[in-house]
Amino acid sequence: MSSSPVTSRIHGPLLIAAAVFLVVVMPAMNALGWVDHFTLNLWGKYLCYGIMAVAIDLLWGYTGLLCLGQALFFSLGGYMMGMHLMLMIGKLGAYKSDLPDFMVFLGHTSLPAFWKPFYSFPFALAMVFIVPGLLALVFGYLAFRSRIKGVYFSILTQALTYGAALLFFRNDLLMGGNNGFTDFRTMLGANLRDPNTQRILYICTALLLVGTVAGCRWLTRSRFGLIQRAIRDSENRVLFSGYATANFKLFIFVISAMIAAAAGALYVPQVGIINPSEMTPDKSLEAVVWVALGGRGTLAGPVIGAISINALKSWATRAYPDLWLIILGGSFVLVVMFMPKGIIGLPAQISGIITRLRRRRQATSPETTPPAASTEP
Amino acid sequence: MCSIHPIRILRPLFLGLLLCFQSGIAADENQSSVEPVRQVVARAIAASSSSEQRAIVLSLKSNPTPEAVLWLNKWKEGAVFLHEDEQGTVTPVLLTGEAGSDDSQEVVKLADGTPFVGADGKPVRINPKEVEAAETDSGLRKAMKEVSDIAALANPDKAKRVRAIQDYAIGQNVEKLPALLTLKQTEKDPDALRALEESIAIIRLKSATPAERAAACKTLGSLHSLAAKDMIRSLLTDSEKAGDAVTASAARQALKSIEAHISTINAFGTAFRGLSLGSVLLVVAIGLAITFGLMGIINMAHGEFIAVGAYTAYLTQNLFASGINLSPFGVSISIPGFNFASGGDLYFAFALPLSFLTAALVGLVLERSVIRFLYRRPLESLLATWGISLVMQQLFRLIFGPNNVQVSSPSWLSGNWTVNDIVFGWNRVFVIGFAVLIIVATWLVLNRTPLGLLIRSVMQNRNMAACMGIRTERVNMLTFAFGCGLAGLAGAFLSQIGNVGPALGQNYIVDSFMTVVVGGVGNILGTVISALGIGLADQTLQQYLGNPVIGKILVLGAIILFLQWRPAGLFVTRSRSLD
Repeated sequence: MSSSPVTSRIHGPLLIAAAVFLVVVMPAMNALGWVDHFTLNLWGKYLCYGIMAVAIDLLWGYTGLLCLGQALFFSLGGYMMGMHLMLMIGKLGAYKSDLPDFMVFLGHTSLPAFWKPFYSFPFALAMVFIVPGLLALVFGYLAFRSRIKGVYFSILTQALTYGAALLFFRNDLLMGGNNGFTDFRTMLGANLRDPNTQRILYICTALLLVGTVAGCRWLTRSRFGLIQRAIRDSENRVLFSGYATANFKLFIFVISAMIAAAAGALYVPQVGIINPSEMTPDKSLEAVVWVALGGRGTLAGPVIGAISINALKSWATRAYPDLWLIILGGSFVLVVMFMPKGIIGLPAQISGIITRLRRRRQATSPETTPPAASTEP
Repeated sequence: MCSIHPIRILRPLFLGLLLCFQSGIAADENQSSVEPVRQVVARAIAASSSSEQRAIVLSLKSNPTPEAVLWLNKWKEGAVFLHEDEQGTVTPVLLTGEAGSDDSQEVVKLADGTPFVGADGKPVRINPKEVEAAETDSGLRKAMKEVSDIAALANPDKAKRVRAIQDYAIGQNVEKLPALLTLKQTEKDPDALRALEESIAIIRLKSATPAERAAACKTLGSLHSLAAKDMIRSLLTDSEKAGDAVTASAARQALKSIEAHISTINAFGTAFRGLSLGSVLLVVAIGLAITFGLMGIINMAHGEFIAVGAYTAYLTQNLFASGINLSPFGVSISIPGFNFASGGDLYFAFALPLSFLTAALVGLVLERSVIRFLYRRPLESLLATWGISLVMQQLFRLIFGPNNVQVSSPSWLSGNWTVNDIVFGWNRVFVIGFAVLIIVATWLVLNRTPLGLLIRSVMQNRNMAACMGIRTERVNMLTFAFGCGLAGLAGAFLSQIGNVGPALGQNYIVDSFMTVVVGGVGNILGTVISALGIGLADQTLQQYLGNPVIGKILVLGAIILFLQWRPAGLFVTRSRSLD
């Protein structure tokens, strides 16, 4: 399932080249005017999704935990950053009040206590990691302690996400309700509508992505990663060998939640809006598709999947708005059925089919196994 | 009050029916010596002075029939016209037939309903714009009201009589007491007697003697009168102010008893609503209990199969009526309907099996084309079926449009049934009955048919079953189709109690998975208990918190905690295998 050392030696330089392209070349071309601001902003969004996809893959591809709550952690990170950005609007909002517009609209006259610390950027940044991390810790502790795994884990995380989305849709949570947060102005004093600010945000995103991939690469190749994969392949054997698998899973679950949250925190200032529809179970499933399409159990795969599906989405929702969901759903089914290793595994799959065909021709006796069946484990 | 209501309905019909109607009455009345009611009314209208008119109207109190109210209302509404001939004889008449070119209409005599013929032998025609209608003054209208109130009390229809008795208590007018007391001596019906006692006691709350007030409080307390609650409360404050200890303590006790009754009603109402919500959950989850619980396929498109069933019900409804126009992918398709006369109530009986079959067929196709490759990969089946659910949702949108479609409920689903002040809506009773039916049917299929035997054996041990010569591929196919068919049945059922739209299934998918997981995978009984438990918990929390969303979130939280205690759900399928 994971890439072998031989292929990764070939992939290594490719990965570095891709990293340089994303971090240096893209922003440089934008600064020179070869890539317009809209495209760069769009790519910033794709890369945020790419980070979330890596977080999902860390759980699903490497540990065998299909979490449908990653969109929740992503949006929680976004919400924490959004709270700070909302307060930074100050009197520039529609109601010319220090309070965020939606609070004025709901008839509040003073800022609720839990909003006050968010005037501080470092506090907000810390909360980006602490809130989703804590939620993941508590939920993960409860789930892994009672050995909820496989499909049950997926369904429970889905329910958690669903419940949280219901909660955030409410106005009395004081998190903007239905409309969420939007209309941001400044971040650390820089105008968010200025292309230079957006370019810096893009570079931060690309750096975070490269850092995340590098970090996960190191983690998954360490002894920890070995146990992680062993849990994926046979949890009971690992358990019987004396490893507390629950703690390993909890650790990876919290890390993954924090990575997704960081991606969300960078997503919000670039996209300019965060609302509860970002945290529905559907969004999590969509992100899982990116991983499946790109190739799970690899680190480059999820990023490729996230970028390619979202680029396809940007194009198809404009060109064929009626058919987009059919394209997405259909490609999903096809990938699951015929490309279990995703785009990354495609070359190996094709060469495998060619070898088999060649062998069959040499053996002259007609083989009855269809090629599709061979892709099943 | 309520006696006006049936007349409003009758009015458009009335003129047309008049001729057949009057002959029957005339025949009856010829035999009895009593003056026909309409003749009395006609006499009253023709009377010269207002006081004479009032006296004649009040004389009707001795014979308070609905018919009298009908004619009096005609008079009050200005539908009776006064025709005056050359001799100055005034005849009250009613318009009938079609309006002619000069707006004039033929008339019948109010007194006996016979056509009004003039001296020249020709029917008299009247233009309602030119001839004056019979007038009423306030004193007369008051007299009419007295007659109609008494007539309402004497109404042979029990429900209407009870309503009238209850209306009598409004305003707590002591003058109305005698009429109720008179009726109490002759009334036989227990419901009407109860209403009488209640109304009499409510009026007596205003009585001048403290002992009578206290007795009234006691009666109302023992009757658990909801209507009297506010009045007793105001009596309590009044008597406390006045220092009337006897009344105050009686009122306090009555209030206590009524409030205890209200909390009982609420508890029963909550339990009933919880039971019906649980039944909805059960109906939507039972298909999933088969596909997920028995077969282990995470069918994320389960909700869309529910929608398939609902849309089938919609199509059936339209086929039984005037047909339907659809325009999928820009192609306009027009399907003619059968135009059955009673299609509105009849179609549902056909929609149920059709929904099951359609959804089962779609499920069969899905199983053959996708699912069968994924039996050993449950997480992948989750992703693939989610993709399918996206495709299906979009197809619904393209075929039936993005908005909700209208599925009408048969008339027998509206209305309710009240026992001891607890209201049981027919649709909720239907929900519960339907759930019971589906569960029994599913249980019978699984436990009493050859197919059920095969299904159970394959689900217990696929390889062993295959070794025994069971064609597991075929059993898988049929089991999946059966589960999907049940989802379709749920859809037809949901179309009766909610909206039908492309996202219908999405609303139920999380709930159905929760229900199956809590119940314990692979166990139908577990699903039944967990559905009812979740439904009851949801409604109880909603009742106490007064907030559906917080209640729902708490239920989700409770489920997560519940799974700490029983990770495999309520009923665990025991097995020695790990993983």
